[in-house]
Amino acid sequence: MSTTAVPIYLDNAATSFPKPEPVYLALDQFARTSLANPGRSGHRMAKEAERTIELARSALNRFFQGESANRWIFTLNCTDALNIAIKGSIQPGDHVITSDLEHNSVSRPLRRLEKDGVITLTRLESSEGYLDADQVRLALTPQTRLVALTHAVNVLGTVQPIEAIAAIVREAGALLLVDAAQSAGVVPINLKSTPIDLLAFPGHKALYGPTGTGVLYVGRRAKLRPWREGGTGGDSKSVLQPEELPFALEGGTPNALGIAGLAAGIEWVTRQGVEQNRLHEVALLQRVVDWVEAEGSGYGWNVAGRWDAASHVGALSLITPNLDDFHPQVISDILDTSFGIAVRSGLHCSPYIHQRIGSFPDGTVRLSPGPFNTEAHIDAFLEALQAISVGIL
Amino acid sequence: MAFADDGRDPLERYSRQMRFPPLGEDGQRKLATSRVTICGCGALGTVLANHLVRAGVGHVRIVDRDFIETHNLQRQILFDETDVAENLPKAEAAARKLRLINSQVQIEAVVTDIDHANILDLVSDADLILDGTDNFETRYLINDAAVKLGKPWIFGGVIGSEGQSMTIRPGITPCLRCVIESSPPPGMTPTCETAGVLGPAVSVIASFEAVEAIKLLAGKLDALNTELIMVDIWNWSFRRLKIAGLKGKVDCPTCVRGEFSWLEGEFGTHTTTLCGRNAVQVAVRRGEPLNFGELAGRLRALGEVKQNAFMLKFSTEGYEFTIFPDGRAIIKGTNDIARARSLYAQFVGN
Repeated sequence: MSTTAVPIYLDNAATSFPKPEPVYLALDQFARTSLANPGRSGHRMAKEAERTIELARSALNRFFQGESANRWIFTLNCTDALNIAIKGSIQPGDHVITSDLEHNSVSRPLRRLEKDGVITLTRLESSEGYLDADQVRLALTPQTRLVALTHAVNVLGTVQPIEAIAAIVREAGALLLVDAAQSAGVVPINLKSTPIDLLAFPGHKALYGPTGTGVLYVGRRAKLRPWREGGTGGDSKSVLQPEELPFALEGGTPNALGIAGLAAGIEWVTRQGVEQNRLHEVALLQRVVDWVEAEGSGYGWNVAGRWDAASHVGALSLITPNLDDFHPQVISDILDTSFGIAVRSGLHCSPYIHQRIGSFPDGTVRLSPGPFNTEAHIDAFLEALQAISVGIL
Repeated sequence: MAFADDGRDPLERYSRQMRFPPLGEDGQRKLATSRVTICGCGALGTVLANHLVRAGVGHVRIVDRDFIETHNLQRQILFDETDVAENLPKAEAAARKLRLINSQVQIEAVVTDIDHANILDLVSDADLILDGTDNFETRYLINDAAVKLGKPWIFGGVIGSEGQSMTIRPGITPCLRCVIESSPPPGMTPTCETAGVLGPAVSVIASFEAVEAIKLLAGKLDALNTELIMVDIWNWSFRRLKIAGLKGKVDCPTCVRGEFSWLEGEFGTHTTTLCGRNAVQVAVRRGEPLNFGELAGRLRALGEVKQNAFMLKFSTEGYEFTIFPDGRAIIKGTNDIARARSLYAQFVGN
């Protein structure tokens, strides 16, 4: 048994790796030719950097069928986008609906606002990794200003019925914030047909940009107060932050290099077709599910949440046979040190869902293949699990 | 201070030491205005602190991350059973005792894990750094800081009945890395926990360090030791290795090339508190494959050892170690990163 020189990377739900070749090329080319301060100076390179960012906004708007390119805000990451959306829209006394499926980037800001007495909070309870749209309908009150929900759960990979939920929330007049961290790029999101007010996602997952890129779409009904104010590259004589988008929410020099890479990633995903990557990843996970059913369950392995290939992204959590011999962290350390396989174990920054499925506080072993993983990679993973199951005791 | 107010000469208490001609009153006065930082307050550290406080070094800072346990009392001379019962940190318990011994000395207890982020703060105002640690990771870190700041330090290490010491003056003598370029990878060296240690061996080495400290602080530089001293008090061997010639002769990464890999956090262990109950992962940046067989052999006498192709499990004193082939370990039984690093140094060794 030996670790392979290049690890088998099954942690794409955290950050996708490797990136498609055009992304590397775009990053290299932009860094060499256009890495000036976008819009801040009038010279050719500054204009080129500015143009790259504007083209990226347009690409995002086409990709998700948004209302206009200027409604796409570039942020530091998805957490930043979610914080801008939550803290910029909430008023004292508001009621907010969320769920136990959320990442800490949604749960923590909301819990803080609740604890400080600013909002009241309803946390919907999922079942086997899924919410029902009717749960949202029942939780809505006249005071509900915001419904903040994930689209695809980072721990389980389960995809929520966001279209049905969006229709209900719009009818009630509340704002809908969707955390699309695990879905943007792999599950179709059409803003024209789905009334989502605020859509947040990172650039570095299924859109194949580099880390340090995040995006927030701000719909017409959402009026956000900026909390980061500063230079916007134009209208400098104004003593206050400009009110028009995207500049209202984009104080400070943006990550132009990262955005250039993200734009190349979006273009690559567009060419692949959104469903293509999801189908590839889910087909790989099906092998894992089949192994658990055929053999793994005999050792005590279980799939967390309900497996439904039609409403699943490429992330899957395994519940280990027991905690004494098969602690999730021990399993991921063995996979890394003895087999050269990278997965992520623990709580994945999402404590509530682990409490719900009974894997708190030790967590699960999550694997998340990407478009460049092969059946051979999954088979190596399964052989490793088999060997560990037999050899660990 | 009561002692200073009674009209007697504050130097009077050091009369027997001052009457030793090579030190003299001038040497004693220099000691009184000196500052030292003692890194680690276990067996070596308590003997060092005891000597230096009694000798009248003006300011003694004692840094240690651990709490006193009963099995420390066999050799850690400043502690007693009350300290164990009160669950005191070593640095604090030592300071309390030392203040009773000599109220003229300013004694500062710092309960912390020495790492690349805090070492410069802990040593930059000291005239001398003293090694009371139990692991090479911290020693290389001290060496980096000392060379970078141009500050002298005294290395000392003991295991079983054997000990080593050398006095390092950056720019004048070779540094630790000139002499010992690298330590064996984690898990490959015996530690006091695995190989045992005799109290007198510690006293001998700490006393070598202490007398070197007194010479250095008193300005008696000609009397300093220029060799690597290696003692075995059981087999009665005393060896002196001439190392002065290594200065400038070896292409030392630290003092010749100016690479401070430990100080910059590039080398050394990296710790993370894990999801779940009470566990810390200690990862080793300079990971080399472990020899499970050897490590298991050393640990078997100290607790339960279980082994399979992927890992070695070792239980002792309420802690459970899961050790992986690249040297990383999950230590169950604590959430405290300093405690986990301490346990790793004691049982795996780094």
